[in-house]
This record gives sequence, structure tokens and C-alpha cells, in this order.
Amino acid sequence: MAEQAIAEVETFQVTLMIRRFDPEADQEPKWVDYDVQMFGTDRVLDALHKIKWEVDGSLTFRRSCAHGVCGSDAMRINGRNRLACKTLIKDLDISQPIYVEPIKGLPVEKDLIVNMEPFYKAYRDINPFLIASGTPDKERLQSPEDRARYDDTTKCILCAACTSSCPVFWTDGQYFGPAAIVNAHRFIFDSRDEGAQVRLDILNDKEGVWRCRTTFNCTEACPRGIEVTKAIAEVKQAILRGRP
Amino acid sequence: MSVVIETPNSPRTRNQANWEKYGWLFMRISGPLLIVLVFTHLVVNLVLGEGIKAIDFAFVAGKWADPFWQYWDMAMLWLAMIHGTNGMRTIVNDYTERVKVRTALNTSLWAVCALLILLGTLVIFTFDPCPAGAAADLLPSFCPALTS
Amino acid sequence: MVTMPAGTLYRGKVGMWSWVLHRISGVGIFFFLLVHILDTALVRVSPEAYNAVIAVYKTPIIGIAELGLVGAILFHGLNGLRVIAVDFWAQGTKYQAAMFWAIIVITIVLVAAFTPVHLARVFG
Repeated sequence: MAEQAIAEVETFQVTLMIRRFDPEADQEPKWVDYDVQMFGTDRVLDALHKIKWEVDGSLTFRRSCAHGVCGSDAMRINGRNRLACKTLIKDLDISQPIYVEPIKGLPVEKDLIVNMEPFYKAYRDINPFLIASGTPDKERLQSPEDRARYDDTTKCILCAACTSSCPVFWTDGQYFGPAAIVNAHRFIFDSRDEGAQVRLDILNDKEGVWRCRTTFNCTEACPRGIEVTKAIAEVKQAILRGRP
Repeated sequence: MSVVIETPNSPRTRNQANWEKYGWLFMRISGPLLIVLVFTHLVVNLVLGEGIKAIDFAFVAGKWADPFWQYWDMAMLWLAMIHGTNGMRTIVNDYTERVKVRTALNTSLWAVCALLILLGTLVIFTFDPCPAGAAADLLPSFCPALTS
Repeated sequence: MVTMPAGTLYRGKVGMWSWVLHRISGVGIFFFLLVHILDTALVRVSPEAYNAVIAVYKTPIIGIAELGLVGAILFHGLNGLRVIAVDFWAQGTKYQAAMFWAIIVITIVLVAAFTPVHLARVFG
């Protein structure tokens, strides 16, 4: 009985509607549908692979590790930002087509690939590295309590699911966006770091934390479960206090 | 045929005078004050007594005979107009792409705001509850009866 | 030239919809405020002018629209408190969805209680 259950993985027919765009041929993106036979253990990324390898080799998307760590395959699946490699097809409503589109607010280059440069620019702008004076003889020590303050924000994989789910970022790409603020939070609240004031100043910008309208799309989109809105609120309070 | 992909996100501009923090704080301070001011305004004018049926010139004159309501309405006027205009400014900043359009809209918003605050304040404090020559039945009961 | 692809509507949850409602109600209240300051300013013109304009507020259609206005003000005010809680209260982000539904219930209950009282005066 148990053996049988293992041997028989359910299979089903699913339709994927993929938002495709070929810059050399298309004036604007268009929806293309694909029917594929998938297993209950398959993820959306497996379906994309199947289409690319067996149906249409021109389908273009990013993926690297395929296990939810590298942050390459964030895309909009059924209207929500998700990692294709972490979204099981059986968890979606397969009686309807599955809609797959590029993440929003960044320029589309081809099919599901967007230009990530504006996103990385905001990340670079917040100084995402330890700023500490002196050369220590041994490792810089930190208590578990101090470490806990920023534990949540160390989990970011820079997939851009949060930033490209933010309604403020869609309409005004100048906004730093949740991911940059999360990564600033990771250093602002690190007791070993000495650059907190610089980062708080940077995020006190016209395009900084004050543009956050607490829509919680970022928190809901984060594949690592980071409480993004909470992290942004903590940065806002730190700016008001004038210290972390 | 190749297509040029536009970059919708122009680079960030920095080092402008930054009032955003104060705007953000103002919204959060004026908000709770406005809840007290506006909710009371609604209860007094629309729920208590005869509600909307009772609102006429005599009703307003009766209220503004008391400096308490004059200052109440003035606080409501100022805070609501600035809160509302700042909110509209946020929306304009979110949805306008061209700097000229943005500046034009924001300038008009603050001009309208200043104008209405000035108008409203003048009306509250230069208001005459018993204007000469008005029909007596439209005036509040405390006006001296006009003898002709 | 390629513009940003429209694609599907982003399916955000209550946080996003509370923000959409906050914006829409805010804009609505703002434009009513402009009109309301101007109509109240008529008390400075003459009692007749003010009474004539205020009579419009007592007509059936505007009377019903006022229920929407009261609802918008209630929602906008209460949701504003929710946003403040999210920004300043440590547990705010945890209870944001619950707070949203509480606001919806409170708004509906208060508008429902106000409706018969108000409409009796408008139609009475």
C-alpha cells in the first residue's frame, strides 16, 4: 500500500499563460498559452523547463540554483510575486490557467527577464557592507540579543519580489524600495557596525522610507518570510529617534 | 526589427531639501486630532437634535456665537486643508512622471489650500450673525428684533 | 517603443486594498472639503444665499450621498489610526489584517445605525 502511494505520483494537465515579449519582434508583450502534463511534485519552474526544453526553446527566464536560495526566478504567478522554484503547481488552482508574468516596475528585457539594474542601484546606495573602524585582532563579538535585532533581515536573497510588489515602486521607480531598506536594516541594527547614521541619512531621503505606505505587499511576497513592513517601520522609528 | 526598451526608472536625485519626514509626522499628528474634531463635528451637526434638517443660517450663527466653536472650526479648517493637500501632494508625486506637470499640480494644490484657509478663517471671524436688512425669520433668536 | 506591460492586476491582500480605499476615500473627502468650505463661506454673503445652497444638502440624492461621505470619513479616520499603529506599535504589523476587518465592521455598523436616523430627516 505504502509502496503504491510512492510509485503513483498524481499527474495532471495544466495550462500556463505566459506573458512573452521578444524585443526583436514584438511591439508589446503578449500572452501565450501552453498545455503541459505535470506531476504533483512539480513546481512552476519545472513547467517552465518543460516548455523551454520540449515545446519552445525561445522561452526566456532566469534561474540558477532552482531551490529558493539564489533569488533568480522571482516572477508574478497568478498575480502575486513568487519564486517559480518554490511554488508547487498543485498548490495553485489548476482548473484555471496559471498566469506567469515578469515582476512589475522594472524594464522587461525579454519574456520573464527584467533589467535588475535599478534594483541593484538602490541596494548599492545604502552601503550594504560592514562599516567598522580599526583592525581587530580577533573576531568582532556580539551577544545573541544584539544579533537577534537584525536576524530577520539577514535572510534576504535579493530576488526583488518585495520591491516589485510595491505599488509606490511601480509608479515611481525612484523610491528605494523594500529590499534596499531591508538590507540597510541588516546593518543599521548590527551592533558591530558604525555606519548607521550614514544609512539613516540616506533613507531619510525624499525617496526613502517615508514613501512606504504600509500596503504589506512586500511582506506577503517575500519568499524568505522576512517581515519587510516591520523592518521598514523600525527604520522609520530609528530615523525619528536619530539612532538605531 | 529591434525595439528600444525604455528605462522608466530614471536615476535617483539626491540632496534636495528634505521635508518628507516632517510631512509624514504631520499626517500622523493631525490625523488623530482630526478624528476628534471631525467626528464631533459630524455628531453635533448630523446626529444630535434635528440633524441635517436643522442646519441653516441661524444654526451656524448660533454655533459661532460661541468662541469655542469658532476656534473648533478654525482648527478643523486648518488641519483638514493641510492634511488633505499634503495627501493630494503624495498622490501627485506618485503618479506624475514629468517634473513640470508635478510642479504645476503641486503649486496649484498649495495655492488653493492657502486661499481656502484664508477665506475660511476670515469668514469665521468676520461673520455677522445679525446682518442688517436680513429677514428676521432667517436669523438666530438672539438677534435684536428689527423695528421698522 | 515599448511601455511597461500591463499584465494582470496585482493580487495584493487586505494591506493593499486598505491602501487603495484610503487613497480613494481621501481624495473624495478632499474635494468635498473644498466644496464645503465654499458653501459655508456663503454665510458671509447673506442668510438667503446660505440657506438656498444648504437646501441642496437636504435633497434625497445628496442626502443618500452623505451616507457615503460619512462612511468614507469613518473608514479614512479609523484606517489612519491603523496605519499609525503599524508604524509605531511593535505588534501593529502582526495585527494589521485583523485591524482592517475590525475597521470595516465598525464603519458598517456606524453607517447602518446612522442611515435610518439621517434618511428619516432627509425624506421626512
